[in-house]
Amino acid sequence: MSVLSEMLRNLFSKPVTTRYPAERVPIPDGFRGRVGCADDRCIGCSKCSLVCPASAITMVDSPRMVEFKGRTLERKKRPSIALYQCIRCGLCERHCPADAIHLRNGQSINGSTLDEVVTCTL
Amino acid sequence: MTRIVVPIGPQHPALKEPVNFRVVTDGERIVDLELNLSYSHRGIEKAAEQRDFIRVLPLIERVCGICSHSHATVFSKGIEEIMGVEIPPRAQYIRTIIAELERMHSHMLWLGVAAHEVGFNTLFMWTWRDREAVLDTLEELSGNRVHYNMNEIGGVRLDLSPSQVEAALARMPVLEERIRAYVGMVEDEETMLTRFRGVGSLSREEALSFGAVGPTARASGVDYDVRKDDPYLVYDEIPWNVVTDTNGDVYGRTKVRIGEIAESLGIVRHCLENLPGGPIRAEAPKAAPPGEILSRYEAPRGEVAHFIRTNGTARVERVDIRTPTLANWTSVAHCLIGRPLADVPVIVAAIDPCLSCTSRITLVKSGGDLGKDAPPPNGPRGWSR
Repeated sequence: MSVLSEMLRNLFSKPVTTRYPAERVPIPDGFRGRVGCADDRCIGCSKCSLVCPASAITMVDSPRMVEFKGRTLERKKRPSIALYQCIRCGLCERHCPADAIHLRNGQSINGSTLDEVVTCTL
Repeated sequence: MTRIVVPIGPQHPALKEPVNFRVVTDGERIVDLELNLSYSHRGIEKAAEQRDFIRVLPLIERVCGICSHSHATVFSKGIEEIMGVEIPPRAQYIRTIIAELERMHSHMLWLGVAAHEVGFNTLFMWTWRDREAVLDTLEELSGNRVHYNMNEIGGVRLDLSPSQVEAALARMPVLEERIRAYVGMVEDEETMLTRFRGVGSLSREEALSFGAVGPTARASGVDYDVRKDDPYLVYDEIPWNVVTDTNGDVYGRTKVRIGEIAESLGIVRHCLENLPGGPIRAEAPKAAPPGEILSRYEAPRGEVAHFIRTNGTARVERVDIRTPTLANWTSVAHCLIGRPLADVPVIVAAIDPCLSCTSRITLVKSGGDLGKDAPPPNGPRGWSR
């Protein structure tokens, strides 16, 4: 009898799985997704490149004037991040003194080609 | 007596990770077993020597894909002890919350895998569905489902906001109800009782002599849990019990794990409700003074130990990792003797083996001749590591 009632219940109940793509799993705030760097905030200090465990960040020449703690200073370099190497640990975000580099929650996938890099695009 | 050698693995549908068993059988019965665990050696210990304490933690975390927080915590704990740094209470609570959520998701994953091995796929789907609630909580708290990267030397990377704590607490009643259902299922479900009861028996004396750890040992009545016997974080301040069982078989191990899920849930709830205020990290020096330490931790699968030697720089001179699976393999080999071949997946799955963590053993052949006439050492690349 219990089998019959369970069968009927299963026949008319909604599946427990998410009906992708009509319905998507929400990505929480603070999710460590694709990395990006705000060009107008980066002071080119290279800290992100030094702490990156995967050596995904290299510093490239990019002279520019930026505001930092109420002062205007001349930046010499900015990070270039190889997405394929990024392990999304968040250490660059944690150690950035200028709050320029962030892991965004919008897009969870990383680079799909070996040489795809992201520079200052936030 | 005709003996047949049945090779299982390194690539096999019943295995989730590469391992090679050479099962010697007499008819249906297993009479001997040889293991080769060395297929996933990644050289993590050597790589860890090249990185400073900031960059080494994400690497240490990747020793294991399930107990990632365990490895990062045991390593941080060791380094902090060498440095003489006391981490703030709030950081200790946050580390404990993540550790216990990790234990819950690991045991639920195991329950699903064990059910799948005996053909009880309904339970497999149910546990993995319920495990999602735990993973969602971890994702909300840390920003990732598997590699939480919450630890740093001196504390934790992220603080928990009141809304995150509230959302995590809101998931607890559903999980409690589900865990109660599993407890009933293990007692009543014929499929599980037939395949688990009396299978892979290990007496208390055998568990002790083989050095079994974690739920494998506790299911044989060995009351050993690092959280109780060598307390760290906040385990000596909060109410919880060590779960043991006297059955000693796969059934007992299942009961212990389900009991531990319930205990972990209680710990998480207690920590979330009594989360102290204050800072989440203490100022830690960049370099550690010269020293040696054996840091221990109760991972979901059992005791994990990191031997760490520092030399006054910002890097470790040596880190040696002993994972719980390694401690449990000898008991598996013993449990399999005399059992039918069909019990191999269940008995192997019962210790919740994690092969990638384990592939770091150095085999020493006693009395062996390593001259040119000696047989080549086991291993995929001809070296015994």
